Amino acid sequence: MTDIRQIKNTSVYPSETTSVWRITFAPLVWALHFAISYGATALVCAKGGQVGALRLGLGGVTAVALLAIIWLAWRAWRHWDIVRDRDWENDAGTNEDRHQFLGHAAFLLAIISFIGVAYVSLPPLLIQTCQ
Amino acid sequence: MTGRRSLPLPQGPFPPTEEMLAQPVPEAEQKRGADQLRAAWKTPTGWRYWSAVNNSEVGTWYSLTALTFMLIAGLLALAMRVQLAFPDSTFLDADRFNQFFTMHGSAMMFLFAVPMFEAISILLLPAFLGARDMPFPRLSAYGYWCFLIGGCFVLGSLLFDAAPKAGWFMYPPLATKEDGIGPDIWLLGLSFIEVASIAAAVELIVGALKCRPPGMRVNVMPLYAWYVMVVGGMILFAFPPLIAGDFLFELERSFDWPFFDPTRGGDPILWQHLFWIFGHPEVYIVFLPSIAIASMIVPTVARRPIVGYSWIVLSAVGTGFLSFGLWVHHMFTTGLPQISLGFFSAASEAVVIPTGIQLFAFVATLMVGRVKMSLPMLWIAGALAIFVAGGLTGVMLAIVPFNWQVHDTYFIVAHLHYTLFGGMVFPVLAWVYYFYPFLRKKLLSETLGRWAFWLIFTGFNVTFLPMHLTGLKGMPRRVFTYPESSGWGWLNLISTIGAFVIAAGFAVFLYDLLRPKKDQPQIPRNPWGAGTLEFSHEVPAEAWGVRSVPYIHSRYPLWDQPKLVERMDAGRFYLQDAPDHQRETIVTSVIDGTPMYVQRVTGPAWITLLAAGFTGGAFIFPTFHIYTPAIISGAFAIVCVLYWLWTSTARPPKDDLREAGLGLRLPTYASGPDSVGWWAMWITMLGDATAFASLIFGFFFYWTARPDFPPAGADHAIGVWVVAAGVLLVAAWASTVAAREANSRGRIIIARTALLVAPILALAGAAAAYMAVRQMDPTSHVYPAIMWALMIWLVAHVLAGVIMQGYCLAGSVWGKLTDKYDADLRNVTLYWHFMALKAVTTAVILGLVPGWLS
Repeated sequence: MTDIRQIKNTSVYPSETTSVWRITFAPLVWALHFAISYGATALVCAKGGQVGALRLGLGGVTAVALLAIIWLAWRAWRHWDIVRDRDWENDAGTNEDRHQFLGHAAFLLAIISFIGVAYVSLPPLLIQTCQ
Repeated sequence: MTGRRSLPLPQGPFPPTEEMLAQPVPEAEQKRGADQLRAAWKTPTGWRYWSAVNNSEVGTWYSLTALTFMLIAGLLALAMRVQLAFPDSTFLDADRFNQFFTMHGSAMMFLFAVPMFEAISILLLPAFLGARDMPFPRLSAYGYWCFLIGGCFVLGSLLFDAAPKAGWFMYPPLATKEDGIGPDIWLLGLSFIEVASIAAAVELIVGALKCRPPGMRVNVMPLYAWYVMVVGGMILFAFPPLIAGDFLFELERSFDWPFFDPTRGGDPILWQHLFWIFGHPEVYIVFLPSIAIASMIVPTVARRPIVGYSWIVLSAVGTGFLSFGLWVHHMFTTGLPQISLGFFSAASEAVVIPTGIQLFAFVATLMVGRVKMSLPMLWIAGALAIFVAGGLTGVMLAIVPFNWQVHDTYFIVAHLHYTLFGGMVFPVLAWVYYFYPFLRKKLLSETLGRWAFWLIFTGFNVTFLPMHLTGLKGMPRRVFTYPESSGWGWLNLISTIGAFVIAAGFAVFLYDLLRPKKDQPQIPRNPWGAGTLEFSHEVPAEAWGVRSVPYIHSRYPLWDQPKLVERMDAGRFYLQDAPDHQRETIVTSVIDGTPMYVQRVTGPAWITLLAAGFTGGAFIFPTFHIYTPAIISGAFAIVCVLYWLWTSTARPPKDDLREAGLGLRLPTYASGPDSVGWWAMWITMLGDATAFASLIFGFFFYWTARPDFPPAGADHAIGVWVVAAGVLLVAAWASTVAAREANSRGRIIIARTALLVAPILALAGAAAAYMAVRQMDPTSHVYPAIMWALMIWLVAHVLAGVIMQGYCLAGSVWGKLTDKYDADLRNVTLYWHFMALKAVTTAVILGLVPGWLS
């Protein structure tokens, strides 16, 4: 019988109060990349700035965003731990399953965010003017 | 922090072992608990029934009201279809037709789709989570009454021929220049309802995060709860931009401040941005909870757990984010730079991926399951078919050149109805059939259900499939008639016939829903063989939600946890009694569902109705440009809310610990981040900060969009006063924080002094903010107008903050707030954290930014 007071201390997987937010980090990178792309374009096009510099700058921002997402994906992959225990469902009411589930969800969200960033990086790659 | 430490921690064994659960509960003990609970949760009878706040009552009223508004909006559509059936028809004149299509769209979105989601969640979320009720039942009731008053007001305008007629998105300058009170009714009436929506969102997020049963970790909670959480978050970030937009719009309508008037530096495109930053996520706010219903029905039909739980979570969260990057695809023809259009086109294509994933997960579940077809599943199948068709035209519309071709034609009408009927109407009807046994303890007719389905499904396709062609042939939206030479006549006639078939289907559905079912024998408890907690409900109904709050450690507890229902009924689990005859529910930790404390839940009250009535007055009087009664109404609304908070929230408890069952002893009071009130404040402030950010966005938008912003030689805010406002408000914040710290250390006198000083500083700061912009003329140009708008926003928030400080001071003096029971003060301090941030930002925008820009 476990005493409720010991729950926080005995767990192998820490209580992770922040981890439900952590699964949103990759989509947040997407949102930030999107906001920067939109804001910078609006500014440069309205104020008659250099479109070439804008496209180059956004390329740099995209590279940083993709790297950040890859890093988040790698961390989430390790949380998920699929290679070691082959548990795809993680549906048990245990600390381990909760931990791996959040890793799995974060990993999948990182993939979708990667695709999202890649899509949004295409317009400045392909279009050369503000018109 | 000493204050919190002196509150006790939970004690006793957790999680419960099988031996503990296997021990029978003595007969006398069972009866005692049941009697106490029945007394505590008794629904008021007679005319007092309307003071009920229980989620089952409020949820039922909510959904029936939303259904009524939907039927009215549907009748408007039918009238429009009659008008369009033949060329040059004179059934409706242009003016009435404009009113009808404006109200059809507005009512379907604001009075049906979003409120219906709230209604369904209020009804079902506690049941999914084995909770007794929502954390803030009176807030739900308040939200409902606001919705009812606002909805009747907005729809009632049709009867006086005074309804808005500029389209559901109210584009300026058409809507700003429109005569009459139509646009004001739209702006104020719907703002009022948006506030209620945000209240519901707060409640639902806190409910899903903090009111899960003991043991229900995030990886086993019902998918519906995941969707509710995502949708609540979306409401929080989508509705505030619209509220900020409404605020600017109404200032222009009432006081001629030129936010959207290009002759004085304004820009109508800003409204389109603010509207669609709300408007596109809104589509997903409507769609996700409906598809969440499918995620509950599909496993039951397939008789196996859902395939790809994590993938569906990905789908919900991913869609929630990506849907915020789509809004400009409603504005492709406004002349934005090509690259900008490209971003939104790309994001619109990307959102298809997470949206599609969940549909594939459902199909996979059905493929590997042992499908037992049922009526609800028929509706879900229809929903998926229609939604996929709408999604495919969505992919077409996301491509800019195609979009230019069909912009504002009937192709759009067809697309949006395919997504909304498939993504919302059909799942909601499936919901009614699936959960009717849970709601009314009766079953709907299988035969009538099939009739309704095939009529609505056929009618829908007959109405809207031809519209794709009508649109491609060039028929524009929102025209009240068309010439015979256009060649659109036969297509329109087909659509009109289809519309009547849909109406016939709804008539069958309504008859089935409302016909008396007294002769029907008692239904089984779990008629569909579902695996989730809501079908542990009691037949006949009991008002207490669950007899005892279970320990849950699986996704489908009714399938996986043997003897669960039997033990719940016996009161084997938690909160099996109510010794003080008070309503309570259990609050658990966000990630692992570890029990934290027992939350007292409020009971029946008239004060919520009264508060909603006065709030209604505060919004409705300004429509007619009468401001004194509006202010008086607003003041009374505040008094009502204060009375309600003072008498029934965060009062020091009689005992610090309560026997919660299975040997567990739980605290009865929580303060700071442990408490649900703190979470509600945090979430509300996020929404509020979003609205503020939208105003700031407006400021910078004018700067990028207009060469004359700020105009040369304009008056600026007075630097000294700006600095004074910033410094005084930050001092007021510091004083509030000092009060919290002193109070928790037992230095009551210092705390009270700080709480006395803080409002004085705050009021002085508000006065300084006013002095800073006083000499600027807001009607002359958009630059002074936006400065004034920021000042008004700041001062209004300061005044609310002052009331809160006064509330805490009064609490300290009259013993409601002590060094140990300081939840109010902690929540107010949280409010002031955001306040300080707003004050500094406003001061920088008022004082420094114009200098940098020019």
